Amino acid sequence: MDDRRLVAPRGLTRRSLLKRGAGLGAGALALGAMPPFLAACGSSTPSGPKELKVLTNQPPDPAPPGVADYSEEAFATWQTDNAARVSYESIPYTQIHDKLATAFASGNPPWDIVYMSGWVPEFSKNLATIGDMISAELKSDLPPSSFKTVTWDGKIQGVVFTLSLMTLFYNTEHFEQAGLSEPPKTWDDLLRYTKELTRDGRYGWVNNYGAPEGIGGTANLWMSYLQQAGGTMYDEGGLPIFNDAAGVDAAQFMIDLWDAGTEPGSISYVGIADTTNVFTAGKASMMMNWPFMWKPANDPAASAIAGKIGAAVLPAGAAGTASIDGTDAFTVTTASKSPELATKLIEFYLAPEVQKRQVLDTGWLPIRLSTLEDAEVQAAATNAPIVLEQAKSPYDSFVTPDYIEVTQAIGTELQRCIRKEKSAQQAIKDASDQVASIVTSR
Amino acid sequence: MTIDPGAVARPTGRSYLARRRRTGTLLVLPALAVLALILALPIAASLALSLMDADTADFRFGVFVGLDNYRTLFADPVFALALRNSIYWMVVEVAVVVVVALWFALLLNHPMGRWSVFRIILLVPWALAPVANAVLWKWIYNSSYGILNFLGTATGVLPDPVVWLGDPGLALNALLVAEIWKEIPFITLLLLAGLQNVPRILYRASRLDGAGPWQTFRFVTLPQLRTTILICIVLQSIWALKSFDLVYVLTRGGPANATTMLNFLAYRVSFQFGNLGLGAAVADILFFVMFLLALAYVRVFRPARAAERGVA
Repeated sequence: MDDRRLVAPRGLTRRSLLKRGAGLGAGALALGAMPPFLAACGSSTPSGPKELKVLTNQPPDPAPPGVADYSEEAFATWQTDNAARVSYESIPYTQIHDKLATAFASGNPPWDIVYMSGWVPEFSKNLATIGDMISAELKSDLPPSSFKTVTWDGKIQGVVFTLSLMTLFYNTEHFEQAGLSEPPKTWDDLLRYTKELTRDGRYGWVNNYGAPEGIGGTANLWMSYLQQAGGTMYDEGGLPIFNDAAGVDAAQFMIDLWDAGTEPGSISYVGIADTTNVFTAGKASMMMNWPFMWKPANDPAASAIAGKIGAAVLPAGAAGTASIDGTDAFTVTTASKSPELATKLIEFYLAPEVQKRQVLDTGWLPIRLSTLEDAEVQAAATNAPIVLEQAKSPYDSFVTPDYIEVTQAIGTELQRCIRKEKSAQQAIKDASDQVASIVTSR
Repeated sequence: MTIDPGAVARPTGRSYLARRRRTGTLLVLPALAVLALILALPIAASLALSLMDADTADFRFGVFVGLDNYRTLFADPVFALALRNSIYWMVVEVAVVVVVALWFALLLNHPMGRWSVFRIILLVPWALAPVANAVLWKWIYNSSYGILNFLGTATGVLPDPVVWLGDPGLALNALLVAEIWKEIPFITLLLLAGLQNVPRILYRASRLDGAGPWQTFRFVTLPQLRTTILICIVLQSIWALKSFDLVYVLTRGGPANATTMLNFLAYRVSFQFGNLGLGAAVADILFFVMFLLALAYVRVFRPARAAERGVA
């Protein structure tokens, strides 16, 4: 029995009944006294369109039609056909988690649909189970592994809408100048390339190690190396098992990569945008990044290296290549009064034509396998086959309810070992001890 | 027949005073109720929350755990580091801000410094929105494109670009510089107001006594500014402990927690880790320290008010 339920609302007493009665009476009086136009605010009339409220990213992070500029006509048609009015609250990615945390803590989140990035396990109690409401056709066109990060306690609570795995990006011009004809395939290649490309005032590698926590943070980046080394995060009981040879090798590889020629500012960059700026300015030759970078990095207005970018699967460690998952998904809150309609809207976001426009107009890859195989999509997003190839190997971000706390602990220890304050072995041992403490107190 | 005016007035005066006090209390009560609602209630709720095991997903079903959250905090090395960082931050910020602001105030109080444009320029850092200020400094400190590295390497002061926010010691001090830059203007204005209240006659008297500029500053200006300086120290200490935006935008508390302070830790634990009980405990410790500083502020004010009454 969950002992937290012990303080759940008590039974009715005469006093509480009177209080509630008085409250209801006062509320009714207030509503009665309120001018009709005020009382109507914020709710739809029975015959009017149903309102769906969506919390999502601001572009350039992945955003749905109506926030990002694509499929606008189809979006308007969907609203008409479904007698629905969709209103968006779009905020920067970095603010979404905290906004969700406060709204869910209040017990009354105002949204029907919310964007998630690895937080489904954390907010699982506040999210509706929508697995049964998603059409079989859609499910069959999505990579089965895409449901891993939106499933908790066996319940599917969201749908990933973009295939966002980290792959390798490199500057083809720098490669030519260094006499390198193909991308690095192994860790040894990557170290050698990084050394060779670190010259003429630029660096072979750049990454954002400044923020330890969350998807795309230092710990998350290490997880890709961990899987490449053949390791994993947790055993079946949910306890950490990364304090092994693979975990230490992954951390040691980050140190070696640093010494080989990682751009020194990497330890201070707190977001992928900081790192992307260095790469697209031509100040670093290689980086790992999400697929979205392909489009802006090839835009001459925003990039000094447009047309000089190659993409490849991440170099393999002892166990082969592996990546991490961006886990960008839409979910329906338990507070939604129209969960079926909200799920229908999510299905619209994942409709083949919308998915196609998503990649063609914004650069965010679709998650539908059929759209990824589309010739027009592959011609426009030439990195799409690379991402599909990367998706054949493991790509796990190991999300749990305490993901941010866990990644904060690991990422901070990794920062210490990158800065040579600790050995890789010590850092991983200390991180493992902290994570064990966090997950056992869950 | 003689009338003792005191004997007649005393009972009437007493009842009048009692009525006056009662009426005053009644009139003040609504305001006190509002204050209790918007100040005391959240403080009490925060104290109660710090005694609960409550997280963001399950907030309404928190469980009473007594002082467990405080025990956890005092055993946590990150809390100890955040406390040390906060104290260092407060001491250095207050010392530098007050000294530099006093110097600026003296310059602005000089006949050559009274041109209003100087005051407008001075106010720019203070008028900037906190996050805009933080983003500005993020670009200044950027190791690849930052103006600081550009100027430093161009003039030969820096042999190589410096990663200002990448080294633990350097990062905290880099943030301090940005914070001090933002805080100096307001304290300067407070001290300038204090300087303008120093009676001119004291300066004339000191000149007649043959005092030089340093002696005038040491024995006339400083003693006259004592109360203003104390107020500035207390206020700045409170504001220093509340610093958040620079840490959030520039370093997120890193590298390796080097720039994590109590205020940021409270935010991280509450809203990122979702542990509202533990986060409230951090916030309450911070509140306690700030409350002590506020008491000091009240004490600083008291002699001045008593003196004012005496003069009146």
